[in-house]
Amino acid sequence: MSLLEVDGLTKKFGGLVAVDDFSFDVEEGEIVGLIGPNGSGKSTVFNCIMGLYDVTDGSITFNGDDITDDATHEVVNKGLSRVSQESNPIQEMPVAGNIKLFTLPNSIRSFYGGASEEEIYEYAARIDIEDKLHEMPSELPHADVRRLEIAKSLATEPELMLLDEPFAGMNQAEIAELADQIEGFREEGMTMIVVDHNMGGLMELVDRIVVLNNGDFLAEGTPEEIAENERVQEAYLAGEGL
Amino acid sequence: MSSATDRLSTATGRIDQSLQPLADVYNRLFGDYFGEMNGLQFVLIFGTAAALLTAPFWGNFGLVRAMTVAAIWAIFAMSWDIQSGYTGYISFGHSVLSGAAGYTTAMLIHNVNPELSMMITIPVSIFAALVVGLLVALPSLRLTGPYFSLITFVAVLIFYRLIPSFSQYTGGETGIQSVEVFTYAPVARYYYMVVPMLLIAVVLTLIARSNIGLILMSIRENEAAVNAAGINATKFKIFSFALSSIPMGIGGVLLVHFSGGVDPTTFIVVDRSIEMIAIAVLGGMSSILGPLGGAFFLIVLRDYILTDIANLGSSIRWTVFWALVLLVLVFARDGVFRKLWHGLDRIGGDRR
Ligand SMILES: Nc1ncnc2c1ncn2[C@@H]1O[C@H](COP(=O)(O)OP(=O)(O)OP(=O)(O)O)[C@@H](O)[C@H]1O
Ligand SMILES: [Mg+2]
Repeated sequence: MSLLEVDGLTKKFGGLVAVDDFSFDVEEGEIVGLIGPNGSGKSTVFNCIMGLYDVTDGSITFNGDDITDDATHEVVNKGLSRVSQESNPIQEMPVAGNIKLFTLPNSIRSFYGGASEEEIYEYAARIDIEDKLHEMPSELPHADVRRLEIAKSLATEPELMLLDEPFAGMNQAEIAELADQIEGFREEGMTMIVVDHNMGGLMELVDRIVVLNNGDFLAEGTPEEIAENERVQEAYLAGEGL
Repeated sequence: MSSATDRLSTATGRIDQSLQPLADVYNRLFGDYFGEMNGLQFVLIFGTAAALLTAPFWGNFGLVRAMTVAAIWAIFAMSWDIQSGYTGYISFGHSVLSGAAGYTTAMLIHNVNPELSMMITIPVSIFAALVVGLLVALPSLRLTGPYFSLITFVAVLIFYRLIPSFSQYTGGETGIQSVEVFTYAPVARYYYMVVPMLLIAVVLTLIARSNIGLILMSIRENEAAVNAAGINATKFKIFSFALSSIPMGIGGVLLVHFSGGVDPTTFIVVDRSIEMIAIAVLGGMSSILGPLGGAFFLIVLRDYILTDIANLGSSIRWTVFWALVLLVLVFARDGVFRKLWHGLDRIGGDRR
């Protein structure tokens, strides 16, 4: 049994088919790359997995559990978490408060639960923003805002983390550092799916790449196989290139 | 300008320093639960509490009467705040909750048994407020955006129209005026209102400063993030409405035993709901104690200063009331008491 099984996933927005009968599996301990040109449906796949969208057809299974119709908070509590493409920290709270929110139990009786200051520090340290805990999100440089998004996600203690374009807007040094940290999460036992436009940042990082094009499954293979795949190259020819 | 505040803060800083030891004892014991404060803030909170508890000993009849009414409105404004102020789902219909409690008490006495003890009518009435609250919240809080506000608004309109339709039970336009008051003695009556108000203020502050408050505020700022944190935002929105309905019910019961009866104008009309919002906004939304301050400020002004001292007519008083609210909305949207609180933070000495 795979950790995540997406089977025949279809998502329509009115007449637009954003994802069309798309299937893929993720094994425990893997880092899978999910690539595709702009608008090919990558984020939509994540939104369906996370229960943000009602899926039109198909099923999603996590740890043998059918999560197709689960609400977002249920999916998160089962061990999935997502780092969105857009950062959306709560501007009124410092970094520490933003992380703390993600550790609170889903209980109206829990007045003082959630992570201690030390635990919040630990989550932040795993992504190197432990010295920014008291800063407000608006004071942070772009790369740190992205790191905060990852720290929030880590704070829910996920088994499987979905990262939507984590490298976007980062410089080469920041990309290399983040790739190392993601590798580190894997060593701690986490499974991940990383979305990106192109293969640049993923080449070294991922075990396997799945390619989406216009909502359709296009190819799957090792980074080397995908780089040489002619159909993939054609799909990218119109756009920005691999 | 900054040098003026600097000079001010050298002076106030010294006062603050001398009070800091007292504040520190408080911070050590309760800081984790209510938030920490400096010496000046400590004086503001405990000075106000002391002033409220001793009002009959230093205030005259008119002032104490205004403060009695203010205590009830403070309960309404704080209750509104823990739901609307914190979650950002603004209710325009909170008078249905206090109205449900007030009408339950009066209708039990009028229709069931005039001898019914308060031991029965009070809990039943508070429970009625909770039931009405859930009836409004359950369908509406699943929706996002302006629908919730619209539904609360419509709830008041329906309640208001139902009263004359069942006038043999509800007393119609003139209401039911046969409810026993707690007491006619003005001093005792004041304490009947102000003690429950202070208890509600403590409990709601405690909740607002806990994880629950953090989650409710996060719903206002970013509901998607709350769900992504594994927290069921809908559940917490409904919970906040229940949390609000109970003290609204208590306030409704206090009001019915203060005025000795119910009628649609005193309890239900949408004006009453809007006044609750105005008081909370003037004091400072999502702070609990801000709305408390707002209630005493506006109602003492309207019912005592403008009435007993300035001898103004009712229309003028209400015009001043709403003009003040408008001024705050335009120039101090965070609320008067929040501004005061942060001002004290700035002019106080350095902490530790
Ligand atoms: N909420 C929505 N309503 C309507 N159409 C949508 C919605 N979300 C996505 N789409 C459409 O679905 C298609 C896939 O979008 P999606 O955001 O999943 O692409 P993507 O692969 O993540 O693209 P990008 O690389 O730009 O992030 C696009 O045509 C998009 O316009
Ligand atoms: Mg996307």
